[in-house]
This record gives sequence, structure tokens and C-alpha cells, in this order.
Amino acid sequence: MLLAGFLGLQYDFRWSVLWESPFGYWLLQGVKNTIILSLLAWVIALVLGIALGILRTAPWRVPRAVATAYVEFFRNTPLLVQLFFWYFAVPQILPAGPIRDAVNSLNVDTPLLTLNYEFLAALAGLGVYTSARVGETIRAGIQSIPRQQTEAALSSGLSLVQVYRHVLIPVGLRIVIPPMATEFLSIFKNSSLAVTIGFAEITFQTQQVNSYTFKGLEAVTAATLIYLAISLTIAAFMSRMERQYAIPGLIARGATRE
Amino acid sequence: MKKSLGVLLALLFVTTAVAPALAETVLEKINRTGTLTAGTRTASIPFAFINEKNEWIGFSIDFLEAVQARLEKKLGKPIKLDKKEVTPATRIPLVANRTIDVECGSTTYTRGRDETVDFSINFFFTGSQLLVKKGSGVKSLADVAGKRVGAAQGTTNEKAVRAQQPRADLVTFQDHAAGFLALEQGKIVAYVTDGILLAGLAAKTKNPKDYEVVGDLFTKDPYSCIVPENDSKWRDFVSHTLMELIDNGKYFEMYDKWFGEKGVVQYPMSAQVRNFMIMQSMPE
Repeated sequence: MLLAGFLGLQYDFRWSVLWESPFGYWLLQGVKNTIILSLLAWVIALVLGIALGILRTAPWRVPRAVATAYVEFFRNTPLLVQLFFWYFAVPQILPAGPIRDAVNSLNVDTPLLTLNYEFLAALAGLGVYTSARVGETIRAGIQSIPRQQTEAALSSGLSLVQVYRHVLIPVGLRIVIPPMATEFLSIFKNSSLAVTIGFAEITFQTQQVNSYTFKGLEAVTAATLIYLAISLTIAAFMSRMERQYAIPGLIARGATRE
Repeated sequence: MKKSLGVLLALLFVTTAVAPALAETVLEKINRTGTLTAGTRTASIPFAFINEKNEWIGFSIDFLEAVQARLEKKLGKPIKLDKKEVTPATRIPLVANRTIDVECGSTTYTRGRDETVDFSINFFFTGSQLLVKKGSGVKSLADVAGKRVGAAQGTTNEKAVRAQQPRADLVTFQDHAAGFLALEQGKIVAYVTDGILLAGLAAKTKNPKDYEVVGDLFTKDPYSCIVPENDSKWRDFVSHTLMELIDNGKYFEMYDKWFGEKGVVQYPMSAQVRNFMIMQSMPE
């Protein structure tokens, strides 16, 4: 009421909708689903992103062109459109028949969540989109390593694969921890778009609370605070990691300050 | 820290100072701004939808234009009709916080919603049914236990499925177009919304004969416009517009335009509904 008065709103706040049964439980379900979706999508993004970072910097022309096309496509189209693409278009590529039908109507209850195509499409969409961005970040990290290091490593007898494995990837990854933290935060926030293809994450559940209680402001405030809490936790974790893995003397300006 | 606290306090002070100005009635606001901000839908055929020519039209939009015309007469100046897209999930909050002055689309008047917003008199009657592919074997809500069923999030239909058929695997969509596409692709076996909207969705496809609307009405869905709570002058204005249209017969012409033989969806008005509409109109 106090807040409503300050904002000049003619609106009765009822915050208890956020923990009353069953709404509180719905929100917790949403948090769980957001975390599962985002973490799994992050694994996909990291694996694909590292591969892209390598291919974009390696001296193999055809793979490099393929990786470039991939990055430009997925980085330069809206995630929302990509989610619709994964959800509505991708299964239609399969030949009409039992396999396509099985994909479309997948519905398996697992202890963690209901495994259905809504979840898989959200996972693929979020993972692939983020992988293009992660790939670019890793490419930048690798390219920021002085060329002489590669030359020195090669002339010491290492093969190109070994150079990537033992020099470029470990050093490059450590350099790009700060921008990677941003990507990691983004994946949690971007996961909210999965509501559009019916995946029951936080945004979905807040809309659900709203549609049952008509207390939209409370529900949206709750969603905002939940995302903020998740993001701040990750930010704290990542900045710890940044300090721990900083390369002394390279990006030590912020990192060594105790 | 101290400084930012000061800024915050100053902001709060400013917002408190302007607060009384915001407590104007909808009619006062429309008079001041010269704009009627109306929410409506984009895929509720034939109430409010976007056609092949990219025009945003429909039965509910014709009604909004009638409200606009009556406003112009009352206020004696041109009023702009500013249409905003709403979804089932956004329409009530947007009216409740007065972002939009009125929402006319395909919204069911429920007592629960009436706690938060107000409603005009009814302008249409329908109820929940299921849209299925012909030969699916689904004939009623009882047949979808353990099957994937679609509905638009935040609709009365969605809640009815959860309450009346909890064993169905409910998949929700943000609009009817997406839900219909999912039905077409076999992601769901049935799509649930008001019977009239299902008929509209099927009518718009390439092969309307491949689909059928099945089942008894398992909810009662009288449509009304939503207006903000506690502004009875404005609610009256919207309701009286509809009463005038019923009295002078324009309502029935509008109905015929959208639901008649040449309409987008053929859905002739029953004698019962016609009587109800006439009874709803109070004497002058």
C-alpha cells in the first residue's frame, strides 16, 4: 500500500500471493526449471563455443568458413525467432511418419522435469544461440595471445593440435573469463524467452500466478527479484573465479587487488 | 551511498507530489489526451485479428470504433483510437494499472476477474470446446486424459482443463495461432478455447474440412469488455454504447457482418441469445 501510494497507483498490493499455496510452489518449480534449462544450455554453449573458437582461428579454410557462417547466422538473428524455428520448423525437417510424430508429441516424466519437445527446443535454441556468442568471445581470447607464443610453441616441436590443447585454449579461456561471465548471466535472463514455446520456467510461472490471482505487479516483482538473485549469485561466483584464474601480469589490474 | 539515498528520497517526493494528478477518471484522461487507448487481440478470429491484407479488424474492433464515435460526440472533438496488442496474460494487468482504457477482444466475464477489473455488459456468448483433427478419436474432454492438450496461457479455458481434466498434459501457448500450428503438427491432440474461436481458427486454414470442433461446452464464456476497477462513469459509457447499438439495431448488423452467411465465421445468432441481448439493454 505504501509503495502504491508513492507511485500514485490505484492498486491494492497483496504480496501473500507469492507464497500462498499453490502459487509459491509454482514459482519454485519455475526457478528449478530455469536453472536446469540454463545450466544444460550453458554446457552446450561452452562445448560448441570452444569448438567454434578453435575453428575460427585455425588455419583450415573450409572449417573456418563453416564456423564463420554458423556464428554469423546464429548471432545475428533474434533468439525469439530461433526458438520458434526450433520448436515449429525443425521437427518438420524430419520425414513425415512415426519418428516425427514421436518427437512432436514427446512427453516423458523424469524426476527432475517433464521431458518434452518444448524443453528440448528451448535447450537447443538457447544453447546454440549462446554458443555463437561464446565462440566469438573465445576467438577474441585466442587472438589476443601474442603470435610469438604460438610460434614459440610450434618451434619447440608441438603440433598445432598440441599448441591449441596446451597453450592457446588454457590461456585464451583464462583471458576471457570476464566476458564469459556476462554470457553466463545472459543465458539465465534469455531463458525467460522459453515461455513463448510453453516451457514452464520462472516467467511462465509468474504469468501463471498472475492469471490465477490477477496480481500481475506482485508476480512480475517476484520474477525480477528472483532473476536478480540468480544473477548476483552467478556474478559473485564468476568474479571469484576470475581472481583465481587470472594470469598474473596480464589482466591483473582488477584481479590482484585484494 | 548517502547521496543515492538522497536522490531516491527526492524521487519519491516528486512522485508523491504528482500522484493526485494520476487519479483522474478515464473519461477525464481521454478528454485531456484526445486518445482512446484500447487493448485488443491479434489472433481471435473474428473478434480481433490481422487479415491477409495486414488489416487489424474484427467484431470487437468495430465495437471499439463505436465507442470512439460516441466519445467524439460526447466530448465534441476528434478522439484518436490507439489500438494496443494484448494477450490473455497481459490484458488484465494492463487495464488494472490503467495503461489501457478498455480491452475488447474475446475476454470472458468471470467473478474472479471482477475483483480486479470491471466489465461492460456482454457482447457475445460461447464456451470451451475442443478442436481436433478429424478421425483423432477425441470426442470430449474425457478422452484427452494422458494426452497432450493445448490452450492459451491465462484463459478461462486453460483453467477449466486443469480443473476438469487434471490428467491431461497441458501445453500452453501465448496466442491461438501458435496453438493451432501445434495441433496441425501433431504436438497436441486437441486445442482448447471458446467454440467460436475454434470455428474461426479452422475456417482460416487451407483445409477447414480436416478439423472438427467437438464436445459439449464445458465452460460458459460470456464476452465483455474490461475497464479499470472503480470508475463507474467509464464502465457505464462503454455499456451504454453497446445498449445503443442493440436498440438501434447496429449490433445485429455488426453481428451479421462477421458471423452471418458472408461473415468470416458462420455462426448464426440463436433466438435465445438475441432475446438476451435485447433484455440486456436498459431503457433510456
